[in-house]
Amino acid sequence: MSVDPDLAHPAGRPRYPGYNVLDQARHWDDVTKGVVLGRLGPPPPIRFFSPDEEAIVRPLVDRLLGMDEEPRVPVVEMLDAQLTERIGPGYRHDDMPDDWDAWKKSLKALDDESRHVYAAGFADLTPGQQRDILQKVQDTDGDWRGLPAAKLWTLWMRSVCQHFYAHPWAWNEIGFGGPAYPRGYKDHTLKSSREPWEVAEVDAFDPEPWAQRVEKAKRRQQ
Amino acid sequence: MNRVRRRNESAWLIPKGDERTNHRLRADMRRFEDADEVDVAVVGCGAGGGVLTQRLARAGWKVVAFDAGPFWDPDADWVSDEAGSHHLYWTEPRVIGGDDPVPLGNNNSGRGVGGSMVHFAGYAPRFHPSDFRTYSTDGVGFDWPICYDDLEPYYRQMEEELPVAGQRWPWGKPHSYPHSPHPLGVDGELFLLGCQRLGIDARVGPVAITNGRFGNRPHCIYRGFCLQGCKVNAKASPLITHVPDALAHGAEIRPNSFVSRVAIGEDGRAAGVVYWKDGKERFQRARAVAVAGYSIETPRLLLNSACERFPDGLCNDHDLVGRFVMVQGAAQTAGRFEHEVRMYKTPPPGVSTEAFYETDETRGAKRGFSIQTVAPLPIAWAEHVASEGHWGHVLREYMKDYIHWASLGVLCEFLPLAHNRVVLADETDRHGLPVAKFLYSQCDNDKALMKAGTQAMKEILAAAEADDTVTINRYAHLVGGCRMSADERSGVVDHTLRTFAVPNLYITDGSVLPTQGAANPALTIMALAARAADHLIATGGRS
Ligand SMILES: Cc1cc2nc3c(=O)[nH]c(=O)nc-3n(C[C@H](O)[C@H](O)[C@H](O)COP(=O)(O)OP(=O)(O)OC[C@H]3O[C@@H](n4cnc5c(N)ncnc54)[C@H](O)[C@@H]3O)c2cc1C
Ligand code: SF4
Repeated sequence: MSVDPDLAHPAGRPRYPGYNVLDQARHWDDVTKGVVLGRLGPPPPIRFFSPDEEAIVRPLVDRLLGMDEEPRVPVVEMLDAQLTERIGPGYRHDDMPDDWDAWKKSLKALDDESRHVYAAGFADLTPGQQRDILQKVQDTDGDWRGLPAAKLWTLWMRSVCQHFYAHPWAWNEIGFGGPAYPRGYKDHTLKSSREPWEVAEVDAFDPEPWAQRVEKAKRRQQ
Repeated sequence: MNRVRRRNESAWLIPKGDERTNHRLRADMRRFEDADEVDVAVVGCGAGGGVLTQRLARAGWKVVAFDAGPFWDPDADWVSDEAGSHHLYWTEPRVIGGDDPVPLGNNNSGRGVGGSMVHFAGYAPRFHPSDFRTYSTDGVGFDWPICYDDLEPYYRQMEEELPVAGQRWPWGKPHSYPHSPHPLGVDGELFLLGCQRLGIDARVGPVAITNGRFGNRPHCIYRGFCLQGCKVNAKASPLITHVPDALAHGAEIRPNSFVSRVAIGEDGRAAGVVYWKDGKERFQRARAVAVAGYSIETPRLLLNSACERFPDGLCNDHDLVGRFVMVQGAAQTAGRFEHEVRMYKTPPPGVSTEAFYETDETRGAKRGFSIQTVAPLPIAWAEHVASEGHWGHVLREYMKDYIHWASLGVLCEFLPLAHNRVVLADETDRHGLPVAKFLYSQCDNDKALMKAGTQAMKEILAAAEADDTVTINRYAHLVGGCRMSADERSGVVDHTLRTFAVPNLYITDGSVLPTQGAANPALTIMALAARAADHLIATGGRS
């Protein structure tokens, strides 16, 4: 199966220029290929979130994942499908609603908070204002608008990361080798850590040391 | 290896070549009628249930093993992908609470033939002799009604049957492994380097992954997806290590069959199991019943099986069912290295140290911990990064650096406490049965161990020259809930895993562990089930 090169667009700055995990799809087993390439097809229509909720959840997901530009990984669509199908994580905290109810409740709470602070809906705030509200949720100890803040935060992050880092675009961004059956890996030692088809980071793109890169990302967020 | 084959032919019953499932063997499987009185109905075909079924079938017993989940075919059902493996986990509703609630789902029990070992990492260490008498030696925990020597022959049997690969093991009672250690990934090399510089002994293994010829089981291809089910058949789970031999000896595996109740007859003995299949409630008659549904579902099933004789739940006259459930404190600390690590390659289980396993008073806590490589894939790694509070652009920046990180996990021996328990929740599942509620709170000893364990990981990573670390607090390996003891006032089953209250009812899974050591539990669970099978066979199940 050949893969449309446009589908390989790296979401973000290319730390691994030219790396496209999808070039390896021909080496994957058919079942895995079906599952992974399925994520690149047209996403299902939104069914779980109401239009009002959709307008809130889109910027929420973008801020949580730092997704400021197109093309976006269709995290909202993947999340909507999961919640529609009621695929749960296998547990519920005794002081939290089920995931699907917690999502709906938390979107309403975000909007209420936004109207309270900025006299405008969450969807209409600037990204900076949205981030400020989210920072407040993360900094809250105990209850935040009827939900335990720390558990809500974990639910949000767990849900969005689970879909974002399931997507081959994200794998390209982080240099992950992706599915590896039936071929496996041969280069996994200090002397030789990269398969011939894996791509090295190009320092020319990112000459700063690690600590500086993190600091810069933090400033970008503030 | 012929000795192993004479005891358990599973590895030779797997097809040669590229196909992973012996479809002929499954098609020819013996099938019992509900009205047949089988010798034993086994509930759950995971670590404990799978071994018991194989041993009894080989001895000529009529056995049906029920599993709520599917009879997996690794070729068709499993993928080399994190998000696509959600169906391996028990995701029916459960409620969690307490001061330190333990998230279940992907990090806990599995569903389907092979049980949680289908997606377990693959570490297969033994417990130490001290684990069997922590109360006598350390004044904490509980003394088992058996000692290490009682289990040792069964450890050896299981190590041969899985089989286990690793270096000679210097800790606990020193022993060696049937297969030699696997080559390492960079994370394993760095762990060894850090330990070496600090003078800490660390060893490669022990992992339940073939290294060399073993029947028709292929060699590991170092692809790192052990927690998503091994599509290669290199990593052990009862699906390939015990079920094939059980089928060849006339056992029936009944998948997609959820057992809702153990039925007790007027004579106070188990009469069989009530189960749901294809939307119908059915009843299988049996001469004896063995429950092996994991530390959450096993207590839940007993509590849901309340009857006139046992109004508070089966075998629960002394309010012990569902109590003393344990988890290991399993924080993971990752270090960033300038060099590429690419920890997604090679099996996540690589190197361990048990140098911290025993009590060391300088830590301010009893008992100890072990440290192992863990190697999370991207989604799990994102959870680590997020747990340090990172989100948005910072999260993405950390994630872009994925190939530079090596991750270690600690396993702290948290103590068995009566208030850590499984009870029935108010809410019900789709069968109308109350779901399990699992309450968990740490004690001071637990907290002190977790702190010491995390500190030790940071020191090892620093010695290997990591320039940044992130830590996630988490738990692993739920055991206990129906503990084994010398008498019915302190436990639910005796040392042969027979319940004190019902003479023909057995519990043969991780629920019976009175303490958990700082070792991953699957090998011990399997060894206990094999030992219980020997007792059953020797006595003919007479009681
Ligand atoms: C991510 C992860 C990594 C792990 N890594 C390791 C490791 O490296 N080393 C290690 O030793 N251990 C590890 N473990 C733990 C290990 O897998 C378990 O401790 C062990 O499998 C438990 O054995 P068990 O027999 O108690 O239950 P399981 O193996 O879970 O088997 C229980 C079975 O019972 C079935 N069942 C439950 N209720 C019912 C019912 N009512 N009716 C019918 N069927 C039912 C379930 O579907 C399941 O198949 C890991 C676990 C996880 C989740
Ligand atoms: S790394 Fe080896 S044992 Fe683990 S899943 Fe891959 S082939 Fe199986």
